[in-house]
Amino acid sequence: MRPTTESGLAVRAHHLSRRFGDFTAVDSLDLDVEAGEIFGFLGANGAGKTTAIRMLCGLLAPSAGEAWVDGLPISTHGEAVKRRIGYMSQRFGLYDDLRVGENLEFYGGIYGLDSAAIKARRGELLERLDLSQALDRPTGSLPLGYKQRLALGVALLHRPPILFLDEPTGGVDPVARRAFWDLIYEVAAEGTTVFVTTHYMDEAEYCGRVSIMVAGRIQALGTPASLKAEHGARDMQDLFLKVVGT
Amino acid sequence: MGPLARLVQKEFRQIFRDPLMVRLIFLMPIIQLFVLGHAVSLDLKGVRVSVLDPVPGPLSRRLSQAVWETETFTPGPPVATPSQAEDLLVQGRTDLVLHFPVDLERRMRQGNGVLGINLDGRNSAQAGQALAQVQAVLNLEAARLASGWKGQAPRPGGVTLQPLYLYNPELVSRYQMVPAITILLITIISAMLTGMSVVREKELGTLEQLLVSPLTSRQLVLGKTIPLAILSFGELAVATLAAILVFRLPLEGSVLLLSGAVFLYLLVTLGGGLLASTVSSTQQQAIFTVWFFLVFSILLSGFFFPVANMPQALRWLTWMNPMRFIIEIVRGIYLKGSGPADLALPLGMLAAHGVGVFSLALWRFRKRVA
Repeated sequence: MRPTTESGLAVRAHHLSRRFGDFTAVDSLDLDVEAGEIFGFLGANGAGKTTAIRMLCGLLAPSAGEAWVDGLPISTHGEAVKRRIGYMSQRFGLYDDLRVGENLEFYGGIYGLDSAAIKARRGELLERLDLSQALDRPTGSLPLGYKQRLALGVALLHRPPILFLDEPTGGVDPVARRAFWDLIYEVAAEGTTVFVTTHYMDEAEYCGRVSIMVAGRIQALGTPASLKAEHGARDMQDLFLKVVGT
Repeated sequence: MGPLARLVQKEFRQIFRDPLMVRLIFLMPIIQLFVLGHAVSLDLKGVRVSVLDPVPGPLSRRLSQAVWETETFTPGPPVATPSQAEDLLVQGRTDLVLHFPVDLERRMRQGNGVLGINLDGRNSAQAGQALAQVQAVLNLEAARLASGWKGQAPRPGGVTLQPLYLYNPELVSRYQMVPAITILLITIISAMLTGMSVVREKELGTLEQLLVSPLTSRQLVLGKTIPLAILSFGELAVATLAAILVFRLPLEGSVLLLSGAVFLYLLVTLGGGLLASTVSSTQQQAIFTVWFFLVFSILLSGFFFPVANMPQALRWLTWMNPMRFIIEIVRGIYLKGSGPADLALPLGMLAAHGVGVFSLALWRFRKRVA
């Protein structure tokens, strides 16, 4: 039976699979993410997190199964899905040779914002990300923490209802990471769904719910507190090792 | 400004912000043309002319004297046999050898005096120029002689030169090289830079950021290729002006036709650059891929070696080489003033290549990245 999309679900995956030759990177993934949730998508390297995210963002076609993003099936509404998601990866996707303002202007432009809208939104985001002074700075000259916030700004430009963050805090110091998560809370408080992968277990603690992926399948799913209780784990680090290790 | 215009704006910002890129694109061709401009200087002076005259007589003496008296030519060492003439040319001890036939006077009286002339064709422009000047001097002198002959109407042009080149018999001149070099510059700019700029975005991770955006693969492809097409036309304009002003090349044909042909050719090179980017994950791979095809294209294009002189198998292979057709076209337009009707075949072939390669690139690009 074909599952129906329910309103209120930001992301839904049903038997979503991806094979590369003989290797199954994502094995029949089932997942429901509520709108407005901060959902932590955890797993060891090679567990299939990035493959799953790439399918949900339309960067990779599934081998089998289906997924809905903001209620739209990704197989048939790829273009519409892309307008509804913001995406930020560890690599940030910024042009180092463009100025901060030019990066925002460019990305705003390709999402179809007109010049006036770009200008307004750009000012607002720079203010909020505490980057107003950096408007005319070459992006390549920014410290990593600033770049990271700018990359988040790029992902938020077109006010997407769902934000995919693929290891957004890699290589950034703890203070910058903390500040970044404050921003994520703000964004989520406004109703944006945040779908985030991370290797930092303290960050996993900040999520409303987490899933832990092992070898292409979800092995654990729930709130950090309930999962810790279920597995008798001291903290998220302990939980992760217990789930992944078994 | 629509998404496509933003992409184009961003490409131009990136190109003009990179000083090395600006130098590569704008200074490189100017320097190349300037260096060539010096090499191509056609002032002939002190060209040594030897004479092979089995039966010396007043007529041959007067003709050779006339040649030697000009500023361009000086007497070279005397030559006794045809094989000695060749030796002297090979050793560089003389520049050209005039062969007087035994029955020159009789032939000239009939109005068809034929002289053999041996030249070294390696410096084709110089050889061509020298040949033309010798011919001019001989014509003048022959006309003077003829007017002095009794019962004979003055008949100019009673002497024809039959050139025998030691090397480069096709006399591929720098006149032919300059238009071809223009094409080479455009090829490098468009194919290399397209391939590199797409792959650089792969390396940086920005391509991924573009792919999660609502940009279509067609917009992406156009956004990448339009800026380089514009720069290539800029390059064409600079090179064409230089060809006319610096090299004094007569542009006989239509600039419009030239631009149209270059547009068709750009479909090939831009499409080729995109294709290279779909099989490469680093800029080095992209450069190497483009370079690999570039070398074959140049060698099989008639750029250095005329296609007509190639072995049959290679000649067939040149049909798969779009550079062969664009070079044929630009040389035709520059040197012969060929029009669309004269160039129908190469234009048709170029259009087929252009549409084919660009469509393939678009399809591959869509398949690989979207």
